[in-house]
Amino acid sequence: MITKRQATEATALLLMAVVPLVFGGNAYIMGLITLVVIYAITLIGLDVTVGYLGQVNLGHAAFMALGAYAAGLATTKLGWSMAPSLLAAMLVGLVTGALLALPALRLEGPQFALATLSFASLVVILLNELEGLTNGAQGLSLVRPALFGIKLSPAGFYWMCLALLSLIWMGMRNLLSSHWGRSFEALRDSPIATDAVGVSVYGRKVTAFALGSSLGGLAGGLYGFDFQYLQPDSFRYDLMVILLLGVVLGGRKSLWGALLGAVLIVMLPNLLSARPVFATIAILGFVASLLAAWHRRRISSTISFQAAAPIAATGLMVLGGLFAQSLEDWRKAVFALILFAVVVGLPEGVMGCVERALAGLFRVGRRPLPLPCSLDEVLPAQEPDQEPGLENNGAVRLEVVGLSCRFGGLVALDRFNMKVRAGEVHGLIGPNGSGKSTAINVISGLYPPATGYVRLDGRLLPSGNLVRAARAGIGRTFQNLQLFFGLSALENVMVALRHVYCLPLPLIMLGFGVREEETARSEALSLLNLVGLGDHAEIKAQDLPYGAQRFLEIARALACRPRLLILDEPAAGLSLPDIKTLLGIMDRIRERRIPVILIEHHMDVVAQLCDRVTVLDGGKVIATGTPGEIQTDPEVIRAYLGSIACTGGACTGVANNKTSSAAC
Amino acid sequence: MLTIEKLTAGYGASAVLHGIDLSVADGQVVAVIGPNGAGKTTLMRTISGLLSARSGHIRLDGQEIGQIPANRLARLSLAHVPEGRRVFAPLSVEDNLLLGGYSRLPKLFGFASKARPDLDRVYDLFPKLRERRRQSAGTLSGGEQQMLAIGRALMIKPRLLLLDEPSMGLAPVMVQEVFATIKRLRSEGTTMLLVEQFAESALALADYAYVMEGGRIAFSGRASDLAVDPRVIEIYLNGGDQGNAP
Repeated sequence: MITKRQATEATALLLMAVVPLVFGGNAYIMGLITLVVIYAITLIGLDVTVGYLGQVNLGHAAFMALGAYAAGLATTKLGWSMAPSLLAAMLVGLVTGALLALPALRLEGPQFALATLSFASLVVILLNELEGLTNGAQGLSLVRPALFGIKLSPAGFYWMCLALLSLIWMGMRNLLSSHWGRSFEALRDSPIATDAVGVSVYGRKVTAFALGSSLGGLAGGLYGFDFQYLQPDSFRYDLMVILLLGVVLGGRKSLWGALLGAVLIVMLPNLLSARPVFATIAILGFVASLLAAWHRRRISSTISFQAAAPIAATGLMVLGGLFAQSLEDWRKAVFALILFAVVVGLPEGVMGCVERALAGLFRVGRRPLPLPCSLDEVLPAQEPDQEPGLENNGAVRLEVVGLSCRFGGLVALDRFNMKVRAGEVHGLIGPNGSGKSTAINVISGLYPPATGYVRLDGRLLPSGNLVRAARAGIGRTFQNLQLFFGLSALENVMVALRHVYCLPLPLIMLGFGVREEETARSEALSLLNLVGLGDHAEIKAQDLPYGAQRFLEIARALACRPRLLILDEPAAGLSLPDIKTLLGIMDRIRERRIPVILIEHHMDVVAQLCDRVTVLDGGKVIATGTPGEIQTDPEVIRAYLGSIACTGGACTGVANNKTSSAAC
Repeated sequence: MLTIEKLTAGYGASAVLHGIDLSVADGQVVAVIGPNGAGKTTLMRTISGLLSARSGHIRLDGQEIGQIPANRLARLSLAHVPEGRRVFAPLSVEDNLLLGGYSRLPKLFGFASKARPDLDRVYDLFPKLRERRRQSAGTLSGGEQQMLAIGRALMIKPRLLLLDEPSMGLAPVMVQEVFATIKRLRSEGTTMLLVEQFAESALALADYAYVMEGGRIAFSGRASDLAVDPRVIEIYLNGGDQGNAP
C-alpha cells in the first residue's frame, strides 16, 4: 500500500528526474540542479548531527573536502572509475568522522563545536600544505571518470546523483523510523535516562556522527566530479556557514528540510543578482512576518521578540533593496538578515512550518496499535527461589558490600551493606540527605564507589557506568522525572526494549527493521497496560498528567527486563487516588517476582509494600527490619519519623501504618 | 486581598485552567487541593506572573496583575515558593536570602544595614539557616532547602505568600517541621495560598479551601467543613479504603 508520504516523495523524485528532459540543453540550469542534489546529500548528513543529535557541528565542510580529495586522487593518481572513487570518498568520511567523534563527543556543547572547528581548519591547512599529493593551493584538475564503463553526460551525472540521493533518502527514512531514530529523540530529551535503559548515548552519537560524515564525504566526491577542479580553499568557513544556513533555513530534523535548504542556498545567490526578484522576496518575507505577528497576537496580547525580530529584519531588507547600489556587495549582510529572521521567527525552519500546515503529506500516518502480547513474553517470570517455602529467606539476588562514596569532604555513603532477596520489595528510607539517592546512584552505575562492590545474581556489577549496569540487569526510575518528553508513551517504552532489537544498522537502513518494530510495539503496549496507561499509548509524555508520567517511568524501567528494579520516590507528589494506582502496579510487579528497591517518604506506602526496610542516616545504616519493627525503633523515630504526637495531619502516615502494617 | 475571576491559562496550544474563581482575604490561609494534573501548579504560576493569563482577572488589592511579569510582581510584594524548592544551589544561604529581598532593598548604599533586620527575622524563624549561612545552598538537605526557599520568599515581606507543595519529597520528620513553620507564619498574620498533597494537614491549617479538578474549581468551603465532607474524605483523605493492595 502506498501512503500519502510515499506518493509525495515519488512525485518529487519524478519531477526532479524530468528536469533534464526539459532543460537538458541549458548548461546553467543543469549546473544548478546538480548542485542542489549534491548539497541535499551533504545537508542530510549534516542534519544528523545538527538536527537529530542536537550538536553544533562546524566540521562538516572538512569531511566534504576529505571526500572530494579522496575521490579526486583516486581517479587522478590511481585511475579508479566513478563507483570505487565515490566509495572511497564515503569511506574516508566515515573513518575520519569516527576518529574525530571518538574523542570529540566526550566533550559537551561549545567544546564539541570548537573541536570540530579546529578539525576543519586543520584539514584545509593539511590539504594546502601536502603539495606533492594535492597540488596545494594550485588546485587539482580532474576528469570525470566513467561509471561502469559509461561516459556520463551532464544529465547522466545528474541522474546518478539523484539516484544516490533517493537511496540515501530511503536509507535515512528507514533509520529514522527505527529504534535508532527514536533513540536520537530520546538522547536529546534525557541522555541520563537513555543510558539508564542500556542504550549508550555515546555509542549512538559516534555512530551517527560517522554516518553523517560519510554522507559529507560522498557529497564531496560528487562535488569534485561535478566541478572537475578542486581547491582546498573552497571548503573553508564560508562553505560551513552556508551549509549550516541550509540546514537551519530548510528545517532541522527533516529530510525535506535538507532538500529545501539545498534549493535555497543554491538559489539565493542567483536571486540576489536580479533586483526585482530580491525586492519581491523581501516584501513577501516582510508581509509574512507581519501576518505571523498579527496571528500570534490572538494568543498573547503582548508583542514578543519572536514576532518583532523578523519584522525588523525583513523591513531592513526591503529598505536596503531600495537604497543599495549593488546587491552583490551586500550579499553576506542579506544572508545574515535572512538567517536572523528565520532562526528567530521560524525556529523549526521553513519545512517545519510547511509540515505543520500540510501534515498529511509529510507525516507518517498513525499506524493502528497492535494487540498487546502476553506479559509472560515481555517479562519472563524470574527464576524461582532455590529454597521455596522459606519465607523471607529466598535466594539473595542483590548483595551490596561495604559501599562508600565521598563528594569532596562529604561522606555521602559509609560502608553501606544491603541484601535484596528474590521477589522481595526492599524499602530504603531515611532523612533527606542521608545517602539514599547516592546509594542507588552507585548501584545503578551513575557514580563510582570509593570502596565496596555490588553483586547481582552472584556476578559483580560494573561500577561507575550506567549503560553497562543497565545491561547487567539494573532498571531504575528517577526522583525528578527523566522521561523522553517529546516521544509518545508507547515510544518511551520502546526505547528501552533492547532485547527486541538485534538487527545491525545496515540491514535496518535497507528496511528490514519492520518486523522488530511490530514486536516492540506490541510488547510496549503490554507493559503500558501493566501500569494502566494502555489507553494513553499515543499521547506525548509531556502531555500526560503527572501521575501517569511517574507510572510511565516504571513501565520503561520494566522494558529493560530488569533483574533488579530501583524505584526512586515513585509516590512523590502523587495524590491519594494515584497512590492507590501505584499500589496496584506494585502488586503486579511483585507477581513477576522482580526484586525491587523502593525509596519512599510516604510511610503508609512503605508499610504496605515493603517486605523489609533499610534505614539510612548520615550515610550509615541505622536499622533494618520489617516495616513493623522499623516503626517502633527509637533511633528511626528520632532521625526520621518524628514525634507521633505532632499537630496537623502530617503524620497521618505514621498513624495509619499501625493498621496497614498489620496487613503486610 | 487576592481575587481571581474566570481565569484561563495554559501552555502553548493547550489550555490548563478553564475559568477559575478564587479569593483570598487579608490574613487568611487558603488551601488548594486536588489530584495531579488538576492545574494547581499552573494556577500558582499564573498568579505569580511566570505564566501570563489568557483571559479573566487576577487582582491583588484591587490592582489587575494578570499581565504583569513575575519580576515586577515581586516588587508588588507577592512571593512564590515554587514546587521543588529551586534554591540558587551554588550561592551561599545568606546570598540566597539577600537575593530574595533584592527587589525592595536599596541597591547601592545602606544595603547591609537595611537587610540585617530582615535577615535576622528569617534566621529567628529558621535557626538552622543561621548556622549554615555561609554554606552553599546546594549542600543543604531537602528539608533545609525548603526552609531556605520559604525564607527567601519572606525577604520580600510579602503581602501574599504562594506555597506550592512545600512538603514534596521530604522525610516525615521534615514534613512536620514545614507544617509547623506554616502554622507559625499563620499566627503572625501572613496571608497564604497553599497547594498541598497532604490534604489533611493542609485542611487543618487553612481557613478556607478549594478543591480543583480538571482545571476547574469543583467545590470550595471552610476548611473545617471540607475536612468532614464525604466527597473530600473519600478521595483525598485516608478515609476511603486504603487498599486494593494486600
